[in-house]
Amino acid sequence: MKKRSIWKDVAITVFILGVAFVISVSFQNVFGIDEQITTLFAFAVFLISLLTNGYVYGIISSCVSTLAINYAFTFPFFAFDFITPVNLISAVVMITIALLTGALTTKVKRNEEIRLESEKERMRANLLRAVSHDIRTPLTTIYGSAATLLENGDSLSPDQRKLMLQSIQNDSVWLVRMVENLLSVTRLDSDNVKIAKVPTVLDDLIASVLVKFKKRYAAQMVLLSMPEDILIVPMDAMLIEQVLVNLLENAVMHGEGMTKLELRVYAEDQQAVFEVRDNGCGIPKEKLQDLFIGFYEQKEGSVDSHKKNTGIGLSVCATIVSAHGGMISAENLPDGGALFRFTLRLEETVNEQ
Amino acid sequence: MNNKYKILVIEDEANIRGLLTAMLESGGFHVIQCDTCDSAILLYESYHPDLALLDLGLPDADGMRFLRYVRRNALTPVVVVSARTDESDKIAALDLGANDYVTKPFSSGELLARIRAALRSSRHCNEEGRLPGGKFILEDFLIEYDSRRTYYLGQEIKLTQTEYNIVAFLSEHCGKLMTYATLIKEIWGDRTDENSIKKLQVNMANIRRKLGISPSEPKIIYNELGVGYRMDHSI
Repeated sequence: MKKRSIWKDVAITVFILGVAFVISVSFQNVFGIDEQITTLFAFAVFLISLLTNGYVYGIISSCVSTLAINYAFTFPFFAFDFITPVNLISAVVMITIALLTGALTTKVKRNEEIRLESEKERMRANLLRAVSHDIRTPLTTIYGSAATLLENGDSLSPDQRKLMLQSIQNDSVWLVRMVENLLSVTRLDSDNVKIAKVPTVLDDLIASVLVKFKKRYAAQMVLLSMPEDILIVPMDAMLIEQVLVNLLENAVMHGEGMTKLELRVYAEDQQAVFEVRDNGCGIPKEKLQDLFIGFYEQKEGSVDSHKKNTGIGLSVCATIVSAHGGMISAENLPDGGALFRFTLRLEETVNEQ
Repeated sequence: MNNKYKILVIEDEANIRGLLTAMLESGGFHVIQCDTCDSAILLYESYHPDLALLDLGLPDADGMRFLRYVRRNALTPVVVVSARTDESDKIAALDLGANDYVTKPFSSGELLARIRAALRSSRHCNEEGRLPGGKFILEDFLIEYDSRRTYYLGQEIKLTQTEYNIVAFLSEHCGKLMTYATLIKEIWGDRTDENSIKKLQVNMANIRRKLGISPSEPKIIYNELGVGYRMDHSI
């Protein structure tokens, strides 16, 4: 990575100096002007300092320019002469331009980096705050129920005991999901490492998603429609599995009145399209806007107004899909219910023999 | 004393060890517990357990050492307990000969199902194996090894050579999770890379289609995404 940027900077330097040289030569030979050549090289040095990292390239190119002007374009031609005051002045001017521009651009670039870093920091802080808030509720239930069962278990009726154990189980399942999502995010977030995409046959992905989903919601049927062709998509399968499980769970948790849950996969324009649709209550209009970024963006004050389950799921989906270079969207269906759709680039289509 | 299966539980966290013990005892198993790799090897030698349940993150040595020790001269089933964060360790353990894994957190149902399948697979190897003229029957699925024919729901299924080889290999290790690497080496003799894994997955998808098994209701062959495949009873 670092090596590549060095090569890029060298290429920029050589290219700009080359262009300046060619133009100067043609000025001198075709038009017979040589007064503007110094200005031209000064401009070249300015551009190089602007476009490359640090001071080095600007200073090197200003030295090269001074020598070139001195040698080729000023009197005496094709000989070095450092005594003529004009030449000395142009050398000083060049180096000053290189230093000043270098200093300025470096400062601008550093400021930009700091701004990005603090933006990331702010997102992370928001995430942490929201997570710790969301985690408190289930922990309260678990801690409280376990303590009650231990201390006063004997005085409770079997039904009450069962209810408390049930809520311990439900809330720990919720915590497990939260942790899985956080793990997915950190997997993406660690130093912006590019995700390792492996070609995956969608049959295996979908089978795994549905088994996982069924383990948690045994009662909820999922209607599956998949193409006859075998579709292959390069992906980090664990992360895309997380996206699909999140979308299906989201339908169960928020699609009030849902009776039908559908998962559709099809190919369109070299893209694999995944659709999760339900016939529940749909998505409230005011939420549609920031459905996928809500979790990172919620303000401190508004955290309490969120129900505990509005959690992290959809934001994680969006992060994962965009890291794969895909698109995710949500809409309400005309006859009720919500539709979530995301796309991933297909590798190729293998037809069934 | 009794004829319960003996399970060696190797887990360093006391809470989880207690939980595993409770789950296993309620499932009718006899449990031997330990918390280090060294004591595990000691107990393994003196008790000869029917199965070992191994946590991969042990304090004194990597759980792999125990696995290597057992696999030098025994096929005792080993089921690995892993967290989602040590995926690569899990695959390494399976490649080294572990039978299966459960991911934390797990329910008692999941744990007992995995353990029973692993115990079944070890019996299977002992009794049937790949006998000439032998048959393999799993629910509605039948393989006739000598004529290389397969049947599902009474219908003959026409598989290609490769597909048959995959199915036959899985059936010989019924109940055991076979990793991509193991399968690819057995079927093609290839190294495991993106292309060979893709080839395996495509073959598997074709087998599923020929059997008419939808991904929404897996039967006979189950897949663990990114890890491998297992032929097994439906749970």
